[in-house]
Amino acid sequence: MKGTARARNGFAAMPRKSLLLLFALASCSKGPQADLQYISQARSLTAEWALINEQSSEGKLTDTYTRVMRADLREQLQTTAKSLTQPNSRYGQEIQAVLGEPDHASPQALRSHADQLKQIEDSLESA
Amino acid sequence: MTLGIMTAVGGFVDISELVFAAQAGSIFGYALIWVFALSTIGIMVFGEMSGRVAAVAHQPVFNLMRHRLGLKLGLVTLLASMVSTLITTAAELGGVGLVLHYLTGAPYLLMAVAGTLVLGASMWILPFKWIERTYGLLGLLMLVFAVSLVAIHPPWPKVAGGFVPQVPSGLSTKELLTFGYFGVAIISAVMFPYEAYFYSSGGIEEEWGPKDLPNNRLTATVGFALGSLLAISILASSAQLFGPVNVGPETPGTSALEAAIPFGKAGLLIALLGMLIAIAGAAVETCMANAYSVAQFFGWEWGRHKKPWEAPRFTIAWIGFLLLSLIIILTDVDVMTLVEYAIVFSIVVLPLTYLPLMLLARDKRYMGQYVNGPLANGLGWLFFAVVTAAAIAAIPLYVLTSGGQG
Amino acid sequence: MNPTDPIKLVAELLDLPIQDKDGRWCGVVDDVELSGTPGKQARLAALLVGPGAYRGRMPRWLFAISRSVLGDDIVRVPIAEVETIGSSVKLKCAATKLKLGSGDEKARAWVPRWGAL
Repeated sequence: MKGTARARNGFAAMPRKSLLLLFALASCSKGPQADLQYISQARSLTAEWALINEQSSEGKLTDTYTRVMRADLREQLQTTAKSLTQPNSRYGQEIQAVLGEPDHASPQALRSHADQLKQIEDSLESA
Repeated sequence: MTLGIMTAVGGFVDISELVFAAQAGSIFGYALIWVFALSTIGIMVFGEMSGRVAAVAHQPVFNLMRHRLGLKLGLVTLLASMVSTLITTAAELGGVGLVLHYLTGAPYLLMAVAGTLVLGASMWILPFKWIERTYGLLGLLMLVFAVSLVAIHPPWPKVAGGFVPQVPSGLSTKELLTFGYFGVAIISAVMFPYEAYFYSSGGIEEEWGPKDLPNNRLTATVGFALGSLLAISILASSAQLFGPVNVGPETPGTSALEAAIPFGKAGLLIALLGMLIAIAGAAVETCMANAYSVAQFFGWEWGRHKKPWEAPRFTIAWIGFLLLSLIIILTDVDVMTLVEYAIVFSIVVLPLTYLPLMLLARDKRYMGQYVNGPLANGLGWLFFAVVTAAAIAAIPLYVLTSGGQG
Repeated sequence: MNPTDPIKLVAELLDLPIQDKDGRWCGVVDDVELSGTPGKQARLAALLVGPGAYRGRMPRWLFAISRSVLGDDIVRVPIAEVETIGSSVKLKCAATKLKLGSGDEKARAWVPRWGAL
C-alpha cells in the first residue's frame, strides 16, 4: 500500500492551556522541535486555504462558506504564528509570507507555501 | 428503528468523528478503517446488551449500574461519566455553532448560543419519539458522504484492504505512537459511554418488552453499521482528497469539501446541513444521557416520555447540563481541544460503564431466558478486554504524542 | 421474591431502585435497617432511602461532601410496605404516602407547565 503512512504529524490542535502545556513543557520547551506542532498546523491550514480557493474558483462553494472559511483559516494561522517560540526562523517567516497573501490568493501560490512548510516539518521529524 | 438511527448517526458522526475520521484518512490513508470496523462491532455488542437489559429487566443501564458496582464505585463512575459527557456536550454545542457559522456567516459564539436555545426548545417541546424521529431521519442527510465517496472513484481494493487489521510498515517510533493514539481515540469515539446510556434509556422510553428483542438486535446492528459506514466514508474520502494535498484537516468545516468536490454547492449544503443535524443530535443525546445517569443513580423520576413537569428534577438536570456546556463554550475554548479532552476522559470511563452491563446481561435472575448466550458472552468479554487495554494506554499515548501530533 | 425470604443483603438489596405502586421511580435503597439482637437471626425491618443513609457506607470526609451537596434526609420504608424485591423494589403504596420522591415535589415549583407536546 503506497503512501499510507506519511511522515508527518496530524491532529495538531490549537494552542492549549494548563495541563497540556505542562506536558508539552515537560518534553521540550523551546526551539524547532517545540514549534513542530505549529508548523504542522500552519501547513494544514495553508493547504486547506488552497483547497477552498481552488474549489471556489470552480464554482463549487457558496460565497458565505468561502468567505467564512478564509477568515477562520487566516485567524487560526495568526494564532499559530503567535504561538511560535522562534518567530524569526525560516518557518516563522514562511508563515508570515502565507499571512501576507490576499484572501483570494491562487491555490498554486498557497500550495507552494504549504509544500515549503511540509519540507521543514519532514526534516524536523527525521531529526 | 429510528432510535438506533439517532443513536448511531448522532453517536457516530458527531464532531469528534467528523474530524477524527478525516484526519485518520489524511495521515494514515486507509490503514485505520479496521479500527472503526472493530469498534463498531464492539458498540453493536454492548448496544444490543443494553437494549436487551432495558427490554427484559425494564431498567436502563444506570439504574442497575449502582446496584452492581455499589455506592462508592458507582459514585466514581457517575462523576467520571458526568464530566466526560459534559465535555462532549460542550464540544457538540461548539460544533453546532461552527456549522451554523459556516452556513450563515454569523459569528460563531452567537450561533452557539442560538443553536443551544433551539436545541433546548426542541428537547422541551418534543416528546421522546419525536426527538429521535426528527434528529434520526434528518441526520440521514449525512449519507451524502457515502455517496460522495462513490462519486470520487476511490481505489476500492485499497479501501477493502483497510478492513484488514494492520499496522503500516516503516513507521518511525513517533508515527507508531501517533497511530496507536488514533487507534485508541477511535475506539473511544465509537464506543462513547453515553451511547449505551442513551440507547438503553431510550428503550425504556419506547416501552420495550421481550417482544421487541428482535427489533433491538436489528436496530443495534443496522443502526450502528450505518453510522460506521458514514465515518469510514469520511475517512476514505479524506485519504483520497486531503492526504495528497497536505490537508490535516484542522477545521471541521473542511470536511464538508468531501461532498463539495464531487457535487458542488448542492453537495456542500447537504453536507453542512447533515453535519448540523448529526452534531445537534449528539448534543441532545449526550445532554439527555447525563440527565438519565443522574436521575437513575438517585432514583428520581426521569424520561422524556413524561412531560417536563412530571419529572422535574430530571428536567432541571438536562437544562443544567445544557447551560453548563454552553458556559464552557462561551469561554471561547477551542472546540478541537474539547474534543480531545472528551475522547481521553471517555475512554478511561468505558471499562467502568461496560463491566456492570456485562455482569447484568449474564445474570439469569434479571434476564431469565434472555441471558447472554455464548456469542454475546465471548464477544462481550473480548471487547471489555479491548476497552480496558485502550483505557490503560490512552493517557500515556496522549502524553507521548502531545495529543496525537507526535 | 418476597420480603420475608432469606436474602443476601449486599448482593440483592442494597442500591436497588424503588418503584411505588403506580410505577413511579421514587428512590434507591441507600441502606437497610435490621431488627433483632446479636446471636438471633436478623430480620429486615425497613429500607432507608435518602442521602443521610450514606453515612455508614462511605468515609467520613466523603459523607461530609455528600451532605453539603445532597443534604442528609432519610426516609424509612417499613418492610411491610414492600410488595416484591427483584430487579427493583416494588412498593404496595404510593410514594407520597411515605414521603418518598419529595425532591420532585419541591422541584416541580421551578418547572413551568406549558409548551410541551
